[in-house]
Amino acid sequence: MTVPATRKDLMIVNMGPHHPSMHGVLRLIVTLDGEDVINCEPVLGYLHRGMEKIAENRTIIQYLPYVTRWDYLATMFTEAITVNGPEQLGNIQVPKRASYIRAIMLELSRIASHLLWLGPFMADIERELIYDLFEAVTGMRMMHNYFRIGGVAADLPHGWIDKCLDFCNYFLTVVAEYQKLITRNPIFLERVEGVGIIGGEEVINWGLSGPMLRASGIQWDLRKVDHYECYDEFDWEVQWQKEGDSLARYLVRINEMKESIKIIQQALEGIPGGPYENLEVRRFDRTKDSEWNDFEYRFISKKPSPTFELSKQELYVRVEAPKGELGIFLIGDQSIFPWRWKIRPPGFINLQILPQLVKRMKLADIMTILGSIDIIIGEVDR
Amino acid sequence: MKPEEIKKMQSPLSAWLVKHGLVHRSLGFDYQGIETLQIKPEDWHSIAVISYVYGYNYLRSQCAYDVAPGGPLASVYHLTRIQYGVDQPEEVCIKVFASRRNPKIPSVFWIWKSVDFQERESYDMLGISYDNHPRLKRILMPESWIGWPLRKDYIAPNFYEIQDAH
Repeated sequence: MTVPATRKDLMIVNMGPHHPSMHGVLRLIVTLDGEDVINCEPVLGYLHRGMEKIAENRTIIQYLPYVTRWDYLATMFTEAITVNGPEQLGNIQVPKRASYIRAIMLELSRIASHLLWLGPFMADIERELIYDLFEAVTGMRMMHNYFRIGGVAADLPHGWIDKCLDFCNYFLTVVAEYQKLITRNPIFLERVEGVGIIGGEEVINWGLSGPMLRASGIQWDLRKVDHYECYDEFDWEVQWQKEGDSLARYLVRINEMKESIKIIQQALEGIPGGPYENLEVRRFDRTKDSEWNDFEYRFISKKPSPTFELSKQELYVRVEAPKGELGIFLIGDQSIFPWRWKIRPPGFINLQILPQLVKRMKLADIMTILGSIDIIIGEVDR
Repeated sequence: MKPEEIKKMQSPLSAWLVKHGLVHRSLGFDYQGIETLQIKPEDWHSIAVISYVYGYNYLRSQCAYDVAPGGPLASVYHLTRIQYGVDQPEEVCIKVFASRRNPKIPSVFWIWKSVDFQERESYDMLGISYDNHPRLKRILMPESWIGWPLRKDYIAPNFYEIQDAH
């Protein structure tokens, strides 16, 4: 860091890839004039793992463990969308019970993601409760690998629904407490109100989605617009605010958490019995008694067994992830591997507006704004 | 839907373009009934402005892929219209094909700002260079990387494990 000789000199500061706030490895090259920010350039790519290229050589079942590593806080959404694509291509029906289970898991995951966004010092205890619920069902706290084409991998264990209802009731009291603690806090309000304002028209032009869109007055929620899974059967509202600053985004997320609890409670009351997976998908064309399975032939290649084939069509599926609109553009080849698997990450597109938002703000506001955009580098970089 | 009905149903944007005599080719409907239009790179800029004026104000995603080994590269844009209180909004998917030797497509950053990072990523991964993009440089790979990773004929450097032919 250089000390400016005169006030006209602009200082270029590098907020390096590692920093104490928990966004991950994101590098910001900030041009400062004293305390005011003139320009900020994000440098990405520190966590690029080549997920799209890997997807071209994996079947869906093989690829499912990878997808939880994109957005590792709201993992159910990544799995849901990975599975929705081939389901729509292959016209596979999902049983009702599986659809309800999926909706419950997705809303719990949304709450977990918003809680982590809220702040580690405030919401860890509740997040741990959600992770315990996940572990009871899927066996893993975070990287679940739970969704399958045609349903979910395993049914809910006995007594899980009661535990979940208890959690919902407890959570509503806790959210009320957080609201009392934070929303009326004058220090918080001063740091957050009026910071990072975006107007409605600009938001659409920049292609933002999720809470950023809804905090600027546009009521666009893919769960209502697209009618996917079984969200139509529940009674809930789209949460939105008008101002477009960081306080509005915070309010949208808190209210979304409360709406999610409402949805979970309705789903738990109304969950039907029945199968949890469409087992027809598991039946493949197997040739019987192939001589290649004998001991005399050895497989030295990684050719996977015959499994679900993607037809030669293209499809763009999307879900309303807690960070925004997560989409997959899938081009199938008549084979088990996709030809192109393009991930449309909400964090990547929401991050584009950062240089514009931080102009004329103070240096300390960068972290507030970056926090209110709510990005996670795992899916920005893929 | 009966086949005759499908043939008659053209997306409104396509019908509008035909009415105004603009050259484009319809590539049929993808699985959900969203029409795909193919545009030439020279016409893309004007047609993009026309789509924006028509009402498609939200560019959902922009991606690129290569069509076949040795074939052209395609840049795909998904557009939709965000309006208050709309159900099943109109969507359209536009593909622009560029030759593999010299892939150049006009950038639509000045119409929909959301392609900023996405076009940079397409450039980074496939080598399609977008004219008039304000800062077209590599975004996910290091700046000094050579090669276009997502092309099908890309060879990862210094990678000497036994590769299995799929």
